[in-house]
Amino acid sequence: MKNDASVMNKLFEKLDDLKTIFLYSEKLIPIIQKLIDFMRNTIPLLENINQSITETTNKIPTATNQIDSVTSATEMATTEILDTVDKILSEINSARTNVDNLINSQNGFLNEEIKEKLSLVLVSLDNINQHANNVTLSLQVQDITSQQLAAVNYLIQSVQARLSSLFQDLEDTNISQMNKLTDKNVFNENARYQDTSQQQKEIDQIVTANNSAASQDEIDKLFLKK
Amino acid sequence: MNLKFLVVDDSVTMRRIVINSLSNLNFKNYVEASDGNEALIKLEENPDINFVITDWNMPGMTGLELVKAIRASEKFNHLAILMVTTRGLKEDIIEALKSGVNNYVLKPFTPQVLKEKIDQILNSKN
Repeated sequence: MKNDASVMNKLFEKLDDLKTIFLYSEKLIPIIQKLIDFMRNTIPLLENINQSITETTNKIPTATNQIDSVTSATEMATTEILDTVDKILSEINSARTNVDNLINSQNGFLNEEIKEKLSLVLVSLDNINQHANNVTLSLQVQDITSQQLAAVNYLIQSVQARLSSLFQDLEDTNISQMNKLTDKNVFNENARYQDTSQQQKEIDQIVTANNSAASQDEIDKLFLKK
Repeated sequence: MNLKFLVVDDSVTMRRIVINSLSNLNFKNYVEASDGNEALIKLEENPDINFVITDWNMPGMTGLELVKAIRASEKFNHLAILMVTTRGLKEDIIEALKSGVNNYVLKPFTPQVLKEKIDQILNSKN
């Protein structure tokens, strides 16, 4: 009899456990249902994201080609400006020679007022010459911006490469072929068009220190002064 | 001293600007190359070149590799080398100097700075 009571007690304990499981499951089922609903709603969203990324990735080669076109166009335009500046400089040179020849050939026959005016013309020609040369120097911006654009291109191409490798395993992906990755040696990503006089002074100090066999510590100190 | 320059830069614009600046300084004798490999060919073809002005960032052989190649060559290691580049980081400058450049100019440069550095190199060589 005692044994039967013990078995019954165990049975009731198990039934209690079972009851707890049922009660717990009752609470869990709506959560699982919500999870399933959430996943059901998320799938189209994920498909949209997938499609959007695929489309964006497919546009990358066009974007990088357009950046290359900008670089080529600015280089062409800069060459045209340089050609024009060269012509201006040549004309200035020719005008200067003519005025010089006139002064020399008419020496003694030109009155003071004309001589003075011709001197002013020569000064103006020299100024124009200087300004034209300054235009040429400002065109260094083309090289610097083309390096910045190449750095942007490299970054975009790297993103495409990463996305392509991520999507490679997906069956329905349709990512287009990548452009060849820009050679990293072609550009300096830190290229800036700015006044370099202060930086040039610091470089000069390093060059001087290097030429006088300064230690690495001494060179480092030059930079710490900044 | 009769100077003949080799101007090395992949940018057509920069080559013209450097050459224009040299012309304004009365240095009219020059040849050009668009990268390190072409520069080495030009050096072989023009044994009278005695001054190299080179950019750093170029396709193929970079300016730094060109400097190392020149310094490693018995035939060319006497050449004066000026690096003209956008790279202004301390480690870049030190690396260039250790590789064998004689002086270093940061872009964008002024003709005064270019003249100053050319003069410094020539004075140190004489």
